[in-house]
This record gives sequence, C-alpha cells and structure tokens, in this order.
Amino acid sequence: MKMTLMATKTSIWQWPTLSGRPPLLAVLGPLGVVLLLVVSANLVEFSFMHIIRSGRPFIDFMQNLLVMPDWVFMPQLLTKMLETVEITLLATAIALVISFPLGILAAKNASPCPLIFNVTRNLLSVIRSLPELVWALVFVSALGLGPLPGVMALAVVTVGFMGKFFAESIEVVGENAVEGIQAHGANRLQVIWYSMLPQAMPDFIGSLLYILDHNLRAAAILGLVGAGGIGYDMVMSMRLFNYNRIILIVMSIYLLVTLLDRLSVRLRMKLIHGQAREALQ
Amino acid sequence: MTSDTLPPKPKRFLWIWLLFAALVLILIARNLEINFTTLIWGYQDIIEYFSRYGRPDFSEWRHYSALMLQTIAIAFWGTVLAFAIGFALAPFASLALTPGKISHQTARETLNFLRAVPDLMLALIFVSSIGLGPLPGILALGFHTGGFLGKFFSESLDCVPHGKYDAIAAVGANFPQRVMFAGWPSVMRETAGYTLYIFDRNVRMSSVLGLVGAGGIGLELHDTLRLFNYNQATALILFLIGTIFSIDYLSTFVRSKLK
Repeated sequence: MKMTLMATKTSIWQWPTLSGRPPLLAVLGPLGVVLLLVVSANLVEFSFMHIIRSGRPFIDFMQNLLVMPDWVFMPQLLTKMLETVEITLLATAIALVISFPLGILAAKNASPCPLIFNVTRNLLSVIRSLPELVWALVFVSALGLGPLPGVMALAVVTVGFMGKFFAESIEVVGENAVEGIQAHGANRLQVIWYSMLPQAMPDFIGSLLYILDHNLRAAAILGLVGAGGIGYDMVMSMRLFNYNRIILIVMSIYLLVTLLDRLSVRLRMKLIHGQAREALQ
Repeated sequence: MTSDTLPPKPKRFLWIWLLFAALVLILIARNLEINFTTLIWGYQDIIEYFSRYGRPDFSEWRHYSALMLQTIAIAFWGTVLAFAIGFALAPFASLALTPGKISHQTARETLNFLRAVPDLMLALIFVSSIGLGPLPGILALGFHTGGFLGKFFSESLDCVPHGKYDAIAAVGANFPQRVMFAGWPSVMRETAGYTLYIFDRNVRMSSVLGLVGAGGIGLELHDTLRLFNYNQATALILFLIGTIFSIDYLSTFVRSKLK
C-alpha cells in the first residue's frame, strides 16, 4: 500500500517526455548560462561577501529615505517635471516628422529600390546603437548645458527606433489591399498612401505610445549629463544627501511614468484590439 | 448619378489636430527657450565641431576592450537577474494561471513598480547606498528589466490557448505543475526572444551606467569628453557602435530564427 503510494508520487514528477528524462535543451541551456556566469564573475567583480556586506548600508539608505519631504522644493520640482515632459514631447514630435519618410524608405515592400532600403535600414541601426546619454554627452559638449542638447539627443535616438518600428509595421500589411489598388493603375506613391499607410497606422500608433513611454523615462535621466529635466536635481540631491528631496523626485517620476503607462495601455488596447480585448484586461 | 448613390464623405478633423499639435509644440519650444534658428545659423560651427571627431585614436584599444567586455558582462548578469525575476513573478501576474486575485494584483503592481523607475536612477540609488562598482549596475539593470520581462512573460502566458491549462488542471495538476508543464513549455520561444531583446537593450544601457559610477565603459567616455580628448572619444564611440551594432544584428537574427 505504502509502496504504490510512493510509486504514484514519483511518477507525478516525471518529465512529460517519452523517455521520462529531461529534454536536452532544458539541461544544456541553464548549464551554459551558469558556465558563462562563472566565467564572467571575475569581470563584474562578483563576490558573495560583497553582496552580504551591502545589505546593511542599503537598509540604512532606505531608512534615511523615510523622512518628511521637503515641501519648499515643490515649486521647483513641478517646473522641472514640466520641463521633462516638454523635452519628451518635443523630441518625440521632431523624431516623428523625420522618421516618417525614413520608415517608408526602410520598409522592404515600400522602398523604391533595394539599395536605398539597405542604406536606410543600416543607417537607422547605427543611429540606434548609441544610447541617448552618449548622444547627450556629445551634444552637451557641443551646445552647452540646457534642454536643447537633451531634445536633440532624444530626437536622434528616437528616429532610429521609430523608423525601424514604422518600417516593420509597413512590411506586415496585407497584400490584398495593395494588389487591389495596383489593379486600378495606382502609382507607387498612391499605393503607399492609400493601401499601406492606413493598414500600418494602428500598429504604428501603438509603437508611438510605447516610444513616448520610453522617452519620458529617458528624459528623466538626461539631466545626469546636464541636458535638462529632473535628472540634474536628482544627481545634485543625491550628492548632497538631501533625502527629503530624493524621495519627492523618485515618487513624482514613479507617479508620472505609471500614469502614462496606464494611459498608453488603455489607448493601445482600444486601437489594436478594439473594445473586446479591453474587457479581458 | 453616381454621386447620389455614394455615401457622404466622412468628416475628418485631422488638420485641426495637426494645427493644435504644432501650436503646442511651438509653445513648448518657447517655454524651454529653445531657438532652432540659431541652430541653423550656426551650421558652420556645428560642422567644425563634428569634424573634431574625425581622427580616432585606437592606441589604448586593450584598455577599451577590457572595459567593453566588462560592460557586456554587466549586461549579461543583469539579464540573468531580470530573467529570474520575470520567471518567478510572471505566473502570478498572468490572469490565466494565477492562483488568486491578491497574488495577481501584488505581482502586477510589483512588476509595474520595477518598470516605472528608470534604470539609471536605480543605479544612482544603488551606487550611493552600496558603493561604486559593477554590482549596483547589475542590480539596477536586473530589477528594472525584470519588470519588463515579467510583464512580457505574463502576457505570453495569457495568450496560450486556455485548453492547455484546463487539460492539465483536469488531470489534477496543482499551480506549480500547471506553470511548469503547461505554461512555460508553451511560451518557450517567445520567452527566449524577449530575453534576447532585453539583453540587447541592457548592453546599450550598461554602456552608460559608468556615468553614475556603476562600472563599464561609460565613465571612460564621460572623462574623455570632459577633457576634450576628441580622438579618444571617437575611438570609444566607434567601439561602442561596433559592439552594440553586432549584438543587435545577432539578436535580431536569432529572434527571427526563433519565430
């Protein structure tokens, strides 16, 4: 009796494969990852002692954050947050205008010739490969401190991403509408304008919302290198250990990002899946 | 005759919206005291400035490669941490699998919180609490992107046909068994794709973590630009572009194979 119970117990935890042994990938994959972690442990100066010793200062730091917020800082905080939002909006709008034609050129089915397609696609890739903060560093040392280098850095990187997303949403449009318009003798531009763009639009607006979300987060840290926004105040209060300001800044960024996140999820659901999907969410 | 049979043209307010958007943008530019005309008039200065980046100086390439390797290692460790967080939280955050309403809400809000704080800000917090070095960078990347991976994973788990969950629940599987035998095997490909995408993103991010003292190549770049060493800065930027470009290319290639 006891034996059969044991037998059923063990058979429940068998792997659901024919042989009952774990699949090769499920063993080799994690093993490879662990191996890479061990090999690179030296590079990242990993040690368990360091982690254990870090616990105490981290808790101390968090306790220091539990102070009365510095309400006098509030007006300055609000202007800086407004500046952050403005940098986000302006950069995204500039990038939208530039990446619209670039996206069409970088889409395989809308591009006039393979050469232009390849050149644009790789150009977008190169632009994308440098993070905003590197561009911001370069522009700050060119134009001086202030929001202008921030807007330009953010716009440049956003062109790289938005152009790619836009091209990808054009590439997956249905062939039927394209052939239908072509059958009426439409030229290339008309095909793009009347059959490809309307189909790609919902997808594209979805990625635009995602980018807006991402850019707000990026704009919040551009100030680290002096490119405008709330980031500068964050670094300064961190250096001066003004915990009563840090808590205000972190909370306000969290609230703003969360608000935009929720809003964009709502909008995206409506745009892409219609009302039915929203009920599921 | 045809004009009688056609339905009336739908009214479109697109132009009004565009005008409104343009107005708002102009007001924003005013408020930020940005003047784009000075940018246009100063084009000669701009060309002169960027021409300073023309002569890359690769004499310290050994040092740069070591830093770049460290940057990639930070991104890798961060991605593994993020995967662990996503793997642990996603089944609870997924509506189709979650054992209860409270655990669902808790997991979702935790993921939202992790996502909301930008990673460099997290790095700043970790650096000032536990000191300089790659560890705060790994923690910042891991926690921030863990929020993303958890969200992506839970969405994939929700999209699995519910028959699979029902079938395995009908033969008496409990929550961990449903997750391990019906959940993850069904979304393995997407999971791998998302993780690769996050690794790609983390390499890009970890190259600027050095700005706040969290290890990697970023600090070197910051210092060279501060000292106006344009030749070395160019070399560093080219290094960055090359590495990130090839990792981006590789991960896109693997992801397209996964689909």
